[in-house]
Amino acid sequence: MDSRLLDVLRRHLRYAGPSAIDQDASLRDLGLNSMQAIELLFDVESEFGIEVPDELLTEQTFATAATLWSAIARVSGTGGAAMPRVP
Amino acid sequence: MSAIPDDLIDVVCKAADEEAADADERASFPVGALAALRETRLLGALVPAEHGGPGATMSDVVDVTMRLARADMSVALIYAMHCQQTLTLVHHAGDELAREVLPALARGDLYLGSVTTEPGATASLFVAESRAHAEQGRTLIDRMAPIVTGGTHADGYLITMRTPDAGSPSQVDLLYAGRDELTVEVKGGWNPLGMRATESVPMAFRGAVPASHTVGEPGCFADIAKATFIPAAHTGWAAAWLGAAAGALSRVAKHLRGGKQAPSELVLARLGDIRTELDCVHAMLRHAVAEFSPGDTSATGSFQALVNSLKITAAVRCYAAVDAMVDLVGLRHGYLLGSPLRLDRTLRDLRSASLNYANDKLRLANGALALMDTGTRLA
Repeated sequence: MDSRLLDVLRRHLRYAGPSAIDQDASLRDLGLNSMQAIELLFDVESEFGIEVPDELLTEQTFATAATLWSAIARVSGTGGAAMPRVP
Repeated sequence: MSAIPDDLIDVVCKAADEEAADADERASFPVGALAALRETRLLGALVPAEHGGPGATMSDVVDVTMRLARADMSVALIYAMHCQQTLTLVHHAGDELAREVLPALARGDLYLGSVTTEPGATASLFVAESRAHAEQGRTLIDRMAPIVTGGTHADGYLITMRTPDAGSPSQVDLLYAGRDELTVEVKGGWNPLGMRATESVPMAFRGAVPASHTVGEPGCFADIAKATFIPAAHTGWAAAWLGAAAGALSRVAKHLRGGKQAPSELVLARLGDIRTELDCVHAMLRHAVAEFSPGDTSATGSFQALVNSLKITAAVRCYAAVDAMVDLVGLRHGYLLGSPLRLDRTLRDLRSASLNYANDKLRLANGALALMDTGTRLA
């Protein structure tokens, strides 16, 4: 997963706290509601230069950092592997 | 065919009608209507046959709620919210809890109160500040709620609390607590502009319930809210508001028919506009109910937007329709307190509609949903 996603996420997760965001933690539990999800979407699209299609804008996509990353990877055509891993 | 016989609804309407003026004046709970709801077992309408109920649907509940609202909008709101709680238990309670509460609901022994409001500015269903604690297999409840409809008359409550050991306030549990499991305390009075008979007082609750009283999975109230709780609230409220406005229009139409000469074209055109508004809300309500699959946690964003739109539209248009009726019949018949057309009370009651889960909040939610659906797939 690209560390840029975790940086973007941190700005939108009011309950994430200072420690690293677990890639499989529920984003809803970390404070993501439907209003913040739209702001997160705009940030993700501008950070990665992509446009996420409607069919990926589901609760499942926004479930965890990992599911969101898999959607980003799918849209940007990288399959996820080409992005630098978080150290 | 409806699972609820008309003559049972008539019994409750009669009781509601008889005490409506007094309950409004004193801002007191309609105890006669509640007794009738118990006796007729309309309180258990949504309980499936396997638990002793008639297995009515939300469509049936909408019929009953609209009828009740013609007599007293407060009674209709009380009934709709009780049914919202019942529907949530029917679809999300575990087997043990279902066996405990559903037969009692079917017998009319259990009137359910809703404890979801919290003091403070957050006022979101999806966030809970009050934290539940787990202790030896029991869940401890200690919380205050600023608005509990019929809270002093309820036999049991559905209460939202932050999940024990939750990492964040967005992990919320829905807990069932019988009145005998709690110490309840009324913390203040109730003297509002309208819907006065709902007696929605501030209350404090303290007690402990078994783990089986957590409705659905721990921390997952948001899923229940989207699947059942919110759509049931919005369709039930819309039915109450529409019934109140339809009742007012019926009284106005009878009043105009009783006149010495036919109304002017201006009056007819205005009357036609009011009728159109109510028909629009009714069409939207019936469509939303038809699209509603209670318990379905995979409900789409399009459906969420639809029920939000219904709530906003019903709140705005039903109030505006009764406001227009006041203009139509004038000061003497439309504005004097206690006039036979009762437009004063209906207008005061309906003024609450846009506040009862704020329209502004739902507009924001629908704006976000619209941007998540650039193809605009309408439900």
